[in-house]
Amino acid sequence: MRPPSNRVVELKIPSELGYEKIAREAVATVARRLNFGEEKIEDIKTAISEACTNAIRYGSGGDSRMKVVVVLSADDDKLDILIKDPGISGAPPSDVNIPDIRGMIEEKKRWGGMGLFIIRNLVDEAGFVKNEDDNEDEGNQFRMVIYRIPADEGPADEGSEPDTSDKSGSGAENKGGIT
Amino acid sequence: MSDEIQVSVRSFDVATVIDLVGDVTTFAEEAINQAYQSISSDGATNIIFNFRENDYINSAGIAILIGIVTEARKRDQKLLMTGLSAHFQKIFRMVGLTQYADLHPSVDDALKALNSTK
Repeated sequence: MRPPSNRVVELKIPSELGYEKIAREAVATVARRLNFGEEKIEDIKTAISEACTNAIRYGSGGDSRMKVVVVLSADDDKLDILIKDPGISGAPPSDVNIPDIRGMIEEKKRWGGMGLFIIRNLVDEAGFVKNEDDNEDEGNQFRMVIYRIPADEGPADEGSEPDTSDKSGSGAENKGGIT
Repeated sequence: MSDEIQVSVRSFDVATVIDLVGDVTTFAEEAINQAYQSISSDGATNIIFNFRENDYINSAGIAILIGIVTEARKRDQKLLMTGLSAHFQKIFRMVGLTQYADLHPSVDDALKALNSTK
């Protein structure tokens, strides 16, 4: 079944670790309808899990009375994912560093930053965006975009090496296309 | 909401296997660390973490494994990991874990590799 253009799915999950799995399953269903390849779907599932986990852990302080909102927007060109949290912990990080795993293992560095690093390596665009809704002037919004490009125009879906550069347009697969 | 992890241990001549069935997330920390500490106390030197291919692993789970790598280096233990899906093999390479733990498709493959270096 081909989904019509510009479909939006919105989820509201409790801010409690474990509930990110609902977003994970939902995005997999949407991505399959968009004909993304299985490995790219795994990438998207991992990326949304990490983003929701950050929203739960940091954006909501793990307070399960709060909610994390996940908005999945699909159109002909891309899957656009927006994750909103209450912003309890203040401003989100402005940049993403490659995790110093050697430093962590040698106990010279505190563990952290792994989730954002993984996300940046799995999707085409990722980052915190300004909240443009006047009625919701507080909280964080984290946006991820995965482009749908014909398989013969895109690079192979490898991604085994760390990469924090902007990867717009790479890595997405389209085995069928929608109109 | 989390699938509680089941952790069990098997012993072979050349290695001890920690089988992990379920989500490898922050909820798994205590069970995984207990299993690791227990076999380390018993003198394990080659340790195989055997994952179930389609289970969910997140960055908190990776942090647990980084903690174990840290301990293993102090104890001069060799770590191997098996059963990971192609996706999580990619993630483990991405974050650099494969510099500290060899990946093999299955426990049998890991045991063969250990036997070949005896």
